[in-house]
Amino acid sequence: MEWDPDTQALLKVAAGDKQAFAWLFDRHHASVARFAFRFVGDPARAEELTQDIFVKLYRHARAYKPTAKFKTFLFRVATNHCLNEMRRGEYRVARSLVKAPDTDADEDAAGAVEVPGPDGDRPDQALSGRELEAAVGVALGDLSDRERAAFTMCRFEGMAYRDIAEALEASEAAVKSLIHRATLAVARRIEALQAGTVPARSRA
Amino acid sequence: MSCAYEEDLTAYVDGELPPPHRARVEAHLGTCAACQGTERLLRVTVARMARLPAFTPSPSARRDVLARLDALPPTWRERLAALLRPGLLVPSLGVAAAAVLALLVMGRGGVEPAALDELDAGAFEVATNLELVEDYEVLGLDSSDDLEVVENLHELGTP
Repeated sequence: MEWDPDTQALLKVAAGDKQAFAWLFDRHHASVARFAFRFVGDPARAEELTQDIFVKLYRHARAYKPTAKFKTFLFRVATNHCLNEMRRGEYRVARSLVKAPDTDADEDAAGAVEVPGPDGDRPDQALSGRELEAAVGVALGDLSDRERAAFTMCRFEGMAYRDIAEALEASEAAVKSLIHRATLAVARRIEALQAGTVPARSRA
Repeated sequence: MSCAYEEDLTAYVDGELPPPHRARVEAHLGTCAACQGTERLLRVTVARMARLPAFTPSPSARRDVLARLDALPPTWRERLAALLRPGLLVPSLGVAAAAVLALLVMGRGGVEPAALDELDAGAFEVATNLELVEDYEVLGLDSSDDLEVVENLHELGTP
């Protein structure tokens, strides 16, 4: 049977090949880090979680069945790890003060980036990138863990509903519902912020 | 109250509905102003998510995670694999074989019935009355004088 390069690499990892692991890490750690960041809302913690997730991937590589897509398997490990960490409760505080990632775009976000309102390209009150980041962070913090996981995989990783369902070990119908609720909640949070009815950094 | 089609709208925007379902939602959108508004809001939100700055992990992440792998304790499989290396396995098998042989020899020449005859008669008696001796110890009677008293008591007790 012909497997894709990720699957072949993971099978090598299962046999203890650290070079194959490093190759997989280089290919996928940015997506796992993005996922972890959107999940916990804290860049430093996202880095730690990303490392934890890859260490778990290394240790549990033998449990991988090549019938599942590698990315689905990786995000199942990532989701389970993040959910477990969230259940411990230590990130609740971090989420209420979402820290924007430290990027060049963030510099622009201080005022220059205009985000259109829902009714068109010229809103009465455009949000700065920083305000939008904060609003999304707060909105994500108010979602259930599974809604946040589904939303993050869909919106920031571009994963198909079917793959998200596999990663979350849920039905596609359940994932459709999770993503709809999450997207609508984020949309309404941004809308409220834009209308000035909620401050950017407080919980709804 | 929200429309029955509302929950399909995000999947519709994401292109995740199968064609017949999609056609039904499109037909509904043509007649429902509330769903049109929600659909527009969802599309704008999806577009906004794409504009958020991406989180970039630190450049040292690879080095750090590889260091963590090196620091992991060996799994039982790895330990077993290390034990089964030929360089270790062959001498270990030799030692194990010698140990088994020694046990067999000891088993044959070990405790034989004749050895009991060589035991001191006093020790033999103590051994056969071990339960009684333990009782004396519990009573604190452990000197020879005490034992003599107990012996006399036994004699008194015999008809």
